[in-house]
Amino acid sequence: MAALKILFKRYKLEMLMVLPLIIFILGFTLVPVLQCIYYSFQDPLTGAFPTLDNYRLIVGSRKFGDALKNTVLVTLIGLSLEMSVGMMVALLLTTKSRFRGIFRAITMIPMGVPTIVSGVIMLYIFSSNGYLNEFLYRIGVIKLPIDWAQGGLRTLFMVAIADMWKVTPLVIILLLSGLESIPSSIYEASAIDGATRFQNFFYITLPLIKPFFTIALIMRAIDAFRIFELPMVLAGRNTMFLGTYAYSEYFDYNNIHASGAASTILLLLIAAFVFGYIMMVGSREVEQ
Amino acid sequence: MKLRKEMGLIMAERKIDPKVLQRRINRVLKALFIAGTIFFILVPILLLFKISVSAPQDILTQHPPFLIKNFTWNHWKRVLAAGHIWVPLWKSVVVATSVALLGIMIAAPAAYVISRLPTGIKYGVLLAIFSTRMFPEVGIALPISVTFIQWGLVDTNFGLVLAHLIKVLPLMAWILTGTFDSIPKDLEQSALVDGCDKLQALVIVVLPLSLAGMAAASILCWLESWNEFTYAVYLCLADATLPLKTYYYVRRGNWFESAAYAVFLTIPVLIITFALQNYLKSDYLSGALKY
Amino acid sequence: MKRNLRLVLGLLILSLVVSVVTFSAPTTLRVIMGLAEEEWQVMREHIFPAFEKEYNVKVEAYQAEAQDTEKILEARVRAKRMDIDLIAQDNMRLATLVDRGLVEDLSDYRSLIPTTVYPSLIEVGEFNGKLYFLPYRPNVEIAFYNAAKFRQYGLEVPTTWDELFAVAKFFYEKEGVGRVAIKADLSPCTATHLFDFCRSAGGDPVVLNDQGCFEAFMFLQKLWPYLSPDSKTANWNFMNTHIATESVYLGQNWPFGMNVIVRDGGKKEVLAYNGWRGPVKESHVLGGEVIGIPKGAPNKALAIEFAKYLMSREVQEKLTIYNGWPAVRSDAYGQVADWQKPYFEAINKVLAHAEARPNLLYYGAVEKALNEAFRECVIEGEPVKPTLEKWAKYIEDNKR
Repeated sequence: MAALKILFKRYKLEMLMVLPLIIFILGFTLVPVLQCIYYSFQDPLTGAFPTLDNYRLIVGSRKFGDALKNTVLVTLIGLSLEMSVGMMVALLLTTKSRFRGIFRAITMIPMGVPTIVSGVIMLYIFSSNGYLNEFLYRIGVIKLPIDWAQGGLRTLFMVAIADMWKVTPLVIILLLSGLESIPSSIYEASAIDGATRFQNFFYITLPLIKPFFTIALIMRAIDAFRIFELPMVLAGRNTMFLGTYAYSEYFDYNNIHASGAASTILLLLIAAFVFGYIMMVGSREVEQ
Repeated sequence: MKLRKEMGLIMAERKIDPKVLQRRINRVLKALFIAGTIFFILVPILLLFKISVSAPQDILTQHPPFLIKNFTWNHWKRVLAAGHIWVPLWKSVVVATSVALLGIMIAAPAAYVISRLPTGIKYGVLLAIFSTRMFPEVGIALPISVTFIQWGLVDTNFGLVLAHLIKVLPLMAWILTGTFDSIPKDLEQSALVDGCDKLQALVIVVLPLSLAGMAAASILCWLESWNEFTYAVYLCLADATLPLKTYYYVRRGNWFESAAYAVFLTIPVLIITFALQNYLKSDYLSGALKY
Repeated sequence: MKRNLRLVLGLLILSLVVSVVTFSAPTTLRVIMGLAEEEWQVMREHIFPAFEKEYNVKVEAYQAEAQDTEKILEARVRAKRMDIDLIAQDNMRLATLVDRGLVEDLSDYRSLIPTTVYPSLIEVGEFNGKLYFLPYRPNVEIAFYNAAKFRQYGLEVPTTWDELFAVAKFFYEKEGVGRVAIKADLSPCTATHLFDFCRSAGGDPVVLNDQGCFEAFMFLQKLWPYLSPDSKTANWNFMNTHIATESVYLGQNWPFGMNVIVRDGGKKEVLAYNGWRGPVKESHVLGGEVIGIPKGAPNKALAIEFAKYLMSREVQEKLTIYNGWPAVRSDAYGQVADWQKPYFEAINKVLAHAEARPNLLYYGAVEKALNEAFRECVIEGEPVKPTLEKWAKYIEDNKR
């Protein structure tokens, strides 16, 4: 206690700076989150607590297994696409060019489109007589429309690409602000040493923007794991994700307990991913 | 003809210097990549625009044309006449802007402190803040909104701003932590040696250097608030935000009007990103990478 | 910068004050409905003014979709700050409202219901013998079909399951892709369809493991390969899109589809009829909207008056004339607009075979069992009997 007091006295300014944020966020969200987790351990019929019935019920169902698999796969596909394309675009945006301003503004447009609208646009593109099938039909690749919502990898790719359209700008902004914080003197020095472009990228750029890369990756991972609105428009509830699962249990079937259980599992999944990533990257940071 | 001349030129140059050719190929590849990206980004928007200015028979057919065949402004006129634009637009702009400003004011100081913590604790704090974002909104949006309703903040911008801040603050804190991480500690130290106190060092040395990160964070948060839907359902009844109105058009309107409305939505976003992108780059951080 | 900030803060405070003032205004009746633009216009021009004049109140009506109405009420009930006086709610989503205690018990006001209201419409609002909702508007799904395509192939619209299968198969073989759709996005829309199929084979979907339900699911299993792939995204909203873009030639949806597909979309070749009967009978779920009073509504007495007014003959006639809605009472004779007449005829034919759904507090479990059984048997091809037995047990376990 005394130590805490000293800490407070010594770091008064620091505490004053950090506490509003923490109080604001945790003050509003901690109780609701705990409440939701509490529901997930509560028996829906008798109200008894704690019970693992909700978890047993959903983990046992194949639908949930599918949802879990789809969630992980769509996150992996989506993240690798978004991060690689985002990085390429961000690199291009740092090069001097007359059109850079307009290019940058264009890349930001999709972020301003609400998800519900992007879902509708994507349905125009991916529905069975949508514009993608129409295009393939016109160039003679297909005769009959492809069913993009059929399920399996095809549908996961559709969802990942549709999602990518909307969220890659976020990755670009973050990576770009990382890239632009690298002083050009570093590159001048490496040019004197005769470094190639690839050496520049892997030994200078990448390590220097790692904090930004981490932020972008984790932020995207968190949202990708929780995806639900877009697949619901594009594939109905036929291709399940954990987010869709939690949503439909709550709003379609009026079962807060199963929904809470799915949400909690999702939370654990995300936490495991983020934690694993940070352990991996963080330990390397220490070596530096 | 022209093409052949160019080819000839390239061939001629190749004999002289293979490096020049390499550079040219790179430039072409780069141009292709940029064109591809712009295409990928713009096609959905253009399709939407096309739908919003096409006569129904162009869209409602098995093999829709890619270009506009029967042009009409009718759908736009109806959307503009329905009067669902200016009030929600103003509300969304006010809310999003307040969220971005307030967010910076709360998150920036905190992020600075967090970034100066030892690595282990730093990530612990960040993850604790971020954990609230890891939980699906389905279950927690309701109890959070209940608090605001109890405070009588229904249909106020203030209530909505507070709710949105819950969503954007973790994001902002993390981005800004990254920003402060990339500012060398030595700079501050030398300012302290020069006789500044802690606060002065912050304002004079650190603040200018973090402007780029702050701009990026505030754009992201502005957009996040601009698109926010879940809390708006609970907290806006009499005057809706733009996403709520869009949802209404998608749900209850026809294809053309919802397309027109959606295209209209992207215009303010364009203006904001155009206006703010200059701030994305501060003077010190001359990002001219030597590629 | 500073001035801007002050401006923003000033605006925030101003809007706070304004909203607090409107919040406490006494002579305002706050109402939630989910309507399209034109329907709102009808309400504001033809329905609200007479009531406002008579009772010297202002009716303030807000737009919300059925599931958002649930959210809005739940949040306000939990916060103990109800600011809504009356809702018009989709009768497909009533169990949640009652189960979570979001609406008032209206059993004392049963006598207010006009005697000419169709009895099945009153049943919809009853849970465990108590009346929670007053009748307002009946609705049923009609079958939309692309008459041009049917004519092109010389086909008649299917009126039995066998014909339905034959038509679906015919289109599939002719065009290489299914052109008949059902709403199979596995949302509550799908459960509604399944009610029709099970009941018209003589089954009870709430029981699920009876002969009729077996038969219905086996038929759907047989039919599924010949259906349009767009079935998977079809719900009450996107079904219209699929029909209008000629991706689907035949599919059931709520009658508002005619406004979107025919009036706004100009697809005059899309007509409607009453659909198909099963091996035992023709059966359609009776949908529509009911009136509810949120728990703790500030102006309950006035809201009851408004409910009475909405059920009155003059209002019901106006709703038919301007909105094309069928009336809740047998003595209202509104005439619909000319172009709507053929569709209205189909609606009336369906209404003759409409059955209310049972009002169960565990309705969510029934919906889930139906949809999951559909996913497993019909989409994934599992054997029907054991699957339905399994989900019948699920319903049994979740009975309250």
